[in-house]
Amino acid sequence: MGSITISKVTKHFGALEVIPPLDLHIEEGEFVVFVGPSGCGKTTLLRLIAGLEDVTSGSVAIDGTDVTQVAAARRGLAMVFQSYALYPHMTVRENIGFPLRMAGIGKAEIARKVETVAETLNLTGHLDARPGQMSGGQRQRVAIGRAIVREPKAFLFDEPLSNLDASLRVNMRLEISELHQRLQTTAIYVTHDQVEAMTMATKIVVLRSGIIEQVGSPMELYNQPRNLFVAGFIGSPKMNFITGEKAAQHDAATIGVRPEHIALSKDAGAWQGAVGIVEHLGSDTFLHVNVSGAGPLTVRVAGELAVNFGDTVFVTPDANRIHRFDAAGNALPRRN
Amino acid sequence: MTSEANPALFGRIPILGRFGLWIWRNPLIAPALLVVIVVTQAPFILTVIYSLFRWNLQRPENTAFNAFGNYVDIVRDTRFLDSIVTSLTFTVGAVLLSLLVGLIYALLVHDRFFGRGIVRTLLITPFLIMPIIGALAWKYTVLSPIFGVVNWIVRQFGAAPIDWIGMYPVASVVAVLVWRWAPFMMIIILAGLQALDDDQREAARMDGAGPLGEIRFVVLPHLKKYLQLSALLGSIFIVNEFDVIFMLTQGGPGTATTNVPFLIYQSVFYSFDIGHAAAMAVVTVLGTIIIVTYLLKLLGSLMGDLD
Repeated sequence: MGSITISKVTKHFGALEVIPPLDLHIEEGEFVVFVGPSGCGKTTLLRLIAGLEDVTSGSVAIDGTDVTQVAAARRGLAMVFQSYALYPHMTVRENIGFPLRMAGIGKAEIARKVETVAETLNLTGHLDARPGQMSGGQRQRVAIGRAIVREPKAFLFDEPLSNLDASLRVNMRLEISELHQRLQTTAIYVTHDQVEAMTMATKIVVLRSGIIEQVGSPMELYNQPRNLFVAGFIGSPKMNFITGEKAAQHDAATIGVRPEHIALSKDAGAWQGAVGIVEHLGSDTFLHVNVSGAGPLTVRVAGELAVNFGDTVFVTPDANRIHRFDAAGNALPRRN
Repeated sequence: MTSEANPALFGRIPILGRFGLWIWRNPLIAPALLVVIVVTQAPFILTVIYSLFRWNLQRPENTAFNAFGNYVDIVRDTRFLDSIVTSLTFTVGAVLLSLLVGLIYALLVHDRFFGRGIVRTLLITPFLIMPIIGALAWKYTVLSPIFGVVNWIVRQFGAAPIDWIGMYPVASVVAVLVWRWAPFMMIIILAGLQALDDDQREAARMDGAGPLGEIRFVVLPHLKKYLQLSALLGSIFIVNEFDVIFMLTQGGPGTATTNVPFLIYQSVFYSFDIGHAAAMAVVTVLGTIIIVTYLLKLLGSLMGDLD
């Protein structure tokens, strides 16, 4: 239960084509993250799957059954909204129980299931509170509770963590991942945050302008980005792109090296450069090094490093970790 | 800061006390306030004075102080009690139906569709038409047994035309009131709908609620306060309705549609009984003040927990 197949789906808003013909298959139990910059169509795609938007053409199938013309209410999916979308006039208990009530389940059964879900999510003490009296993190939990209580075929998450502060976001990220481990229900998660995508997904779908740039596991995208866009989008800090003579030496229009794949030395190395801004994170140090003929490069060094603005340093890219791209921006095969 | 500095600058006028302070602080609103007092409070005080006199314009020689005689008369007068019942019937009937129709209008034009702007404007129009003109149009072009649109439709089905206003006077008046006040309700309810987070409606849909469930469990609970506000304001306006009754039925047939304002009007302009009319007006004003004070308090508490 819970495979989703999207075939040749398109979506137009008036004359604007948001999603050009798109195919995607999501296996049962996967945690799929749609990631991409703002306006790339990831939320629209999620809403098409949910049934909150009508497709312009193409079809959506859940468990092999075409649901393109089926109303959102009948698709058996649950959604967690960015704004939480809790019902303010209902208590937490009523909020979580609402999908069961709509499904016509008996009161005793609802009460039992709501209690169980509340226990899983640490909400037992808040069941009679109203959403307005709760913190952002608690509201998020209620929204998740409302989604899991009726055991849907799949969960849809629409940027659920973007309204939380940084530390809470990390906690909730873990909780959602744990929940998925435990329930093994298919999940589709939309975010613009590539860290969330990398840490949570079993499969990442990178979108740009409604087009799927690449689909793969987090490590596939990290190690074998299919083009410049994916290479630049996945990984933090961003991959360094070098054009010109240094790229030509590798028979490519552009070469890319991740900051963590550049070795730094004060004595000797492949390229010489001057240290620009240094960012100390404690666990890591990010250096911005100006290399002649390559431009500014970001270098990531583990731990702390005593270098100052203007120091001369040598950087050496890891030859096995150089990504090559042609003039159109598509990845070229590795040369080892 | 300036409000504290002013008294020091101009000095208090000891005899006037706080009022002296106030007059210095508010010289700009004083003229407007004075006008309001003259045009609203002065007539009321005059009405109270008139109500204490036996005063009929047709027998001016009999004018004399009557103390509370007029009040005793009107309380015994079944026409006055009937007119109160009629007023309440119109108010409750028209408010409830206007709410229902206004809610349907609002739900209709809240969703996007081609030509929504025009439809919305057309729906609001009845509220913008001068009440007496609206009633006139209803009398001759909608409900008239000879020229009316409704009877034209009735005749298409082969039935005999019906004298709506003659046979169903209360329903006819309520129909016109609903036509006029439903747009007003629609505007308030529409504002409420626009304050509703679309995500909540979508969440309800995802949770398995059909279109009616979505309205019942999400939209209506959200609209509760807006509906109460519409009902309160609607009641305050409709309880004193005069134009429609004057134009449509003249309070008839008999006294079937004579509400309090119309009865007062009849007492003054048909019977020329200023004393009686004034007494009824005073009772009406006091009653309205009591009801409105209560309603406004209710409104205050509603607005208080609006978040």
